[in-house]
Amino acid sequence: MAKTKTLRKKKKVTLGTVLLYGFLTVLVFICLYPFLNVLAYSLSGYNAVLSGKVTFFPIDFNLGAYKEILGKSQMWIAMEVTVIVTLLGTLLGLVLTIFAAYGLSRQTLPGRKMLSGIILFTMYFSGGIIPTFLVVKGLGMYDSLTALYIPQAINVFNFIVMRTFFRQLPESLEEAARIDGATDMGILVKIILPLSIPIIATIGLFYAVQYWNGYFDALLYIQSPDKYTLQLRLRSLLFADELNNAGANAEGVGTQVMTQSLKMACVAVSTLPILVVYPWLQKYFVKGVMLGSVKG
Amino acid sequence: MARQVGVKKKSVRENWKIVWRHRWIYLMLVPVVAYYIVFKYVPMYGIVMAFQDYNVFQGVFGSEWVGFEVFDRIFHNSNFWSAVKNTLILNMLTLVVNFPLTIIVSLMLNEIMGMKFKKVAQSILYLPHFVSWVVVAGIATNMFAQRDGTINLMLSAVGIDNIPFLSSNAWWTFTYVLCNVWKEIGWGTIIYLAALTSVDESLYEAAYLDGATKFQRLIYVTLPSIKSVVVTMLILQVSKMMTIGLDAPLLLGNDKVSGVSEVISTYVYRLGIENAKYSDSTAIGLFQSVINIIILVAADRFAKAIGEEGII
Repeated sequence: MAKTKTLRKKKKVTLGTVLLYGFLTVLVFICLYPFLNVLAYSLSGYNAVLSGKVTFFPIDFNLGAYKEILGKSQMWIAMEVTVIVTLLGTLLGLVLTIFAAYGLSRQTLPGRKMLSGIILFTMYFSGGIIPTFLVVKGLGMYDSLTALYIPQAINVFNFIVMRTFFRQLPESLEEAARIDGATDMGILVKIILPLSIPIIATIGLFYAVQYWNGYFDALLYIQSPDKYTLQLRLRSLLFADELNNAGANAEGVGTQVMTQSLKMACVAVSTLPILVVYPWLQKYFVKGVMLGSVKG
Repeated sequence: MARQVGVKKKSVRENWKIVWRHRWIYLMLVPVVAYYIVFKYVPMYGIVMAFQDYNVFQGVFGSEWVGFEVFDRIFHNSNFWSAVKNTLILNMLTLVVNFPLTIIVSLMLNEIMGMKFKKVAQSILYLPHFVSWVVVAGIATNMFAQRDGTINLMLSAVGIDNIPFLSSNAWWTFTYVLCNVWKEIGWGTIIYLAALTSVDESLYEAAYLDGATKFQRLIYVTLPSIKSVVVTMLILQVSKMMTIGLDAPLLLGNDKVSGVSEVISTYVYRLGIENAKYSDSTAIGLFQSVINIIILVAADRFAKAIGEEGII
């Protein structure tokens, strides 16, 4: 690596290099721009949005939209529900995934092929929406938050990533502990888990994002508005009035423009937690994705 | 399983000893297996609904069997075929745009020598993957709005007429693909970048000494080295042709473009949940699963036939 670096560094700045950096800069900008657009809209005043001036920077800077949505109890309830579901879902998902992956990473376990097969088969074949819906409903989980994190508790991809990681750990560690009389549970908790912090962080992030962003399960199973998750609430705020506005704009342009700033403020608030956590976990998840690509 | 039987022949006691030694492991696997049985395998039994005239009050066990009548009904329904067609078109277009672009961006990132620029670029490119579809659709409807949407404002500044990004069939398809590419292109590069860092550096040196240009090194060294990853990824994506997430088409779609935005998943959802046609909806799900498995097996065979690693 080092050798080639010097080898390539000798080259002068060519047109190709300029184009390369130029293209990637444009691409990065395209990826970033929608977020800037959201901020610009959410922080702009009435008239600026109304006259269609907002593109890059907020105009007539004001925090009115944020004040308004943070004053809505609906938003806070949705936030609370989502935090609960995300925490419980991530915890349950991690525990079950670790159990499954650790158990099935053991090459000596009788029946391990069949048990792995039971899990992997569900990647390719499933009962489908309705049969699953009926089972969840039959268990009395309809309109309950448990329906949001129990039926999707284990993600097969995450299981594969975790199992690959456990298989790479040196066996000698376990053997030493076993000679000292440790049980499998003891080995998992005292030896394996402390070595697995990076992968636990990665899989934890994947689950947390899945639950934070999940909206379809809430759409299926949640009925009472006081159990709406953030994404479901967001959807009804973002898209419900669009249906109403499609035909009639008579109700006054002012309210409509306010909702545009408001909508973007909602988007910003609901995306912020991910943006806060993301930089801390970035170095881990790249490795996680790579582990997942190793054939299961 | 077969091995277990073999062990059993040797000595039943021996076999039980091995099992007993792993008792903690089995204990850990109990909740896992229970989860899979209850939430994945019991619903699979529910597939029998596809062969019944399902009645909510009589349930799976009491409903009348009708053979392939439900399938017959579905296969004669033009809405169903339209959903299949739309699914394939949207998936195909996304693949055709996204797949090569992801590889090109990976190759470009790999050429970047400024570590700081590379890190920042990657961080930002991965970011959209973590944003929910509700948010993406919300931003898109705002930005691509025909009246006063940012994109149309920018276009009109350079003298281009309003474009109905979300309300004309062709433009909606364009917007759908664009949103998908925006969301996943960065994330997709991770795997290629990993493969690219493992390319043997001595190959580059040899090529350099032989006087190969940068472009020649790319064609003759880099691409062949990541070929197997490319093939595997392509097969994986092709095998998902009939599967489409419900979020993107449901959230981006609207009544004006339902002719192109109604895909299998949204159709199943509307049929099953909104209209309570459980049998029809389940039958479509089964049809989709079967096609998926056929494509998967075919793709796997194909990969092995051309000398690559399979995916099953």
